[in-house]
Amino acid sequence: MALTRLTIAALLLALAATGCGAGGRRSELAASPQPPGTYAVGATVFGLPGGAITLAAPPVAPLAGWLTPAAVPSPDGSQLAYNVWKELRRDDPKLSWTDQGIEPGDPLATPSIRVHDAASGGDSLLDEGAFSVAWRGDGALAYFKGAERDYLAAVPYVGDVVVRSSLDSPPEIWSRRHARYIVAGWAGSSVVAYRESEGEALDVLVFDGPGRVRVLAANSGLVALSPDGRQAVVEQGPAQGRPSVRVLDIESGKQVVRLDLTRVDPAVGTVGYAGDWRGGRVVGASASGLAVFRVGHGRIVLEQAVRIPGQTVAEPRFADSSGRRITAWTEDKAGAGVLLDCDRATKRCARLFPLPRAHGLHGFPIWRRPVYNPSRPLATR
Amino acid sequence: MRASALLIVCVALLASTPASAANGWWTFERRSNLNSTLTWKWTYPPSPAQYSRSWRAGSGTSTNECRRAEGWLPAGWYSQWGHWNNYDGSAIRGRVWWLQDKYCSDGITKRTELFIHSEETAANGQLCTSAWDDSTCWEREADYYSLGCIKLARPSPVANFANDLGNAHSTYHTYGGSDRHGAFTDSFELYVFS
Repeated sequence: MALTRLTIAALLLALAATGCGAGGRRSELAASPQPPGTYAVGATVFGLPGGAITLAAPPVAPLAGWLTPAAVPSPDGSQLAYNVWKELRRDDPKLSWTDQGIEPGDPLATPSIRVHDAASGGDSLLDEGAFSVAWRGDGALAYFKGAERDYLAAVPYVGDVVVRSSLDSPPEIWSRRHARYIVAGWAGSSVVAYRESEGEALDVLVFDGPGRVRVLAANSGLVALSPDGRQAVVEQGPAQGRPSVRVLDIESGKQVVRLDLTRVDPAVGTVGYAGDWRGGRVVGASASGLAVFRVGHGRIVLEQAVRIPGQTVAEPRFADSSGRRITAWTEDKAGAGVLLDCDRATKRCARLFPLPRAHGLHGFPIWRRPVYNPSRPLATR
Repeated sequence: MRASALLIVCVALLASTPASAANGWWTFERRSNLNSTLTWKWTYPPSPAQYSRSWRAGSGTSTNECRRAEGWLPAGWYSQWGHWNNYDGSAIRGRVWWLQDKYCSDGITKRTELFIHSEETAANGQLCTSAWDDSTCWEREADYYSLGCIKLARPSPVANFANDLGNAHSTYHTYGGSDRHGAFTDSFELYVFS
């Protein structure tokens, strides 16, 4: 425990805070005592109720990217399910596969899902050949399970969406056919997942039970699920026509309302996937920073566009109950993850760089990612 | 006299050298999502002289190459794993080239399902409805946007874009690309840079 406190103290000392946002100056939030939210730096997770923990491997999900969280806390916060990627041979991104002697069908990596128990410190394998996990309020888990254990060169990594009613229960297949699925979260008793096809085209699907699958939103990304799990905000970018966000009723699949993003503040431009919904507000990454919408009573309106200079913003989360404070992630010029701590009232964001001297593990560069559970409803957040 | 005859023979041989003896590869220079450049380059080995043809091309809706389904194609060398004239996928159809998966610049995120393609039917036609954006119709400038792939324009009944897909396709087959179709492992490569 003392070590944990030391770790946090070292982290706080190591935080490099610089200003961004409208004035480009350091805001008052930069002086806040601790970075908000829960996040991972390499294999270490900060911000959990019991203090920092170290996982058996860094939470990374190469085949999901930012579409789903790399690690998901259980509803009671006592456990953490996370994605692991074990390379079976080195794949140098600068070189082609041919130049590396990689042939079609060669095993390249094994994705898997592990579960860490914060109380006991135990860290165990949940499933191999699996990634993208969602944890429901009652403890049920959903994730993608590959038809093959390994990810192979030049072979689409297809498989199924499977559900376990608890950690100890056997997996049950809910998908009807093999495809490239990426599980995004639970909406009530239904699983919300992406189906990826050529060109990384994404359809948002709803799985209501074994074999009961329907398309909720074709060619779309999921921004967030409503707190009661009954509605979803989805987005479409300019590759699919006029950029827009839509509110959909998940049970019926019907559109509640649509907002044409070409008719609001041009600073918004587009809205990205993996945002957050709290109370009557939704936040998503936009082309220039953050876009905050008011949602309810059959309406969705842009409330605020927060401009954040620099790189793309990802995974914004409301960090307080008022919806004033928002965290998000971006990159510095070297590509290192930077935590943004934004105050909507002042339109300023502090830039925090957790553990700037951290090194990568197991051949991977260091990866800084938020840890969160996007499923709804949740008794606790 | 003998020298002249030898020269004539050499010239004749060069003139009849099949284009398939050329060695070709793609390059893609990223400048913007809507206006980048796809080039087919080739040589006639052992001569090092390079020849090329280029076309305007688009990629992604964001310049963050690590954003799946948004970012433009990551930098680096790619293997080409196949080429189809009548590909009939769920999202991409017609004349396509299939590229390998690639780690993006964060060294972790894999971009997958990557192609060079346009917006056409599997039979290389145009199916244009009244919708704003058909995936089988090249309607407007915004069609250069993709979710990560490289996209080339082509003419359609509703817009007069250059036949860049057709020209790239014939150039590829004429100047050093494979005459094979389907999935194959010939080492035709693509180099992506900014």
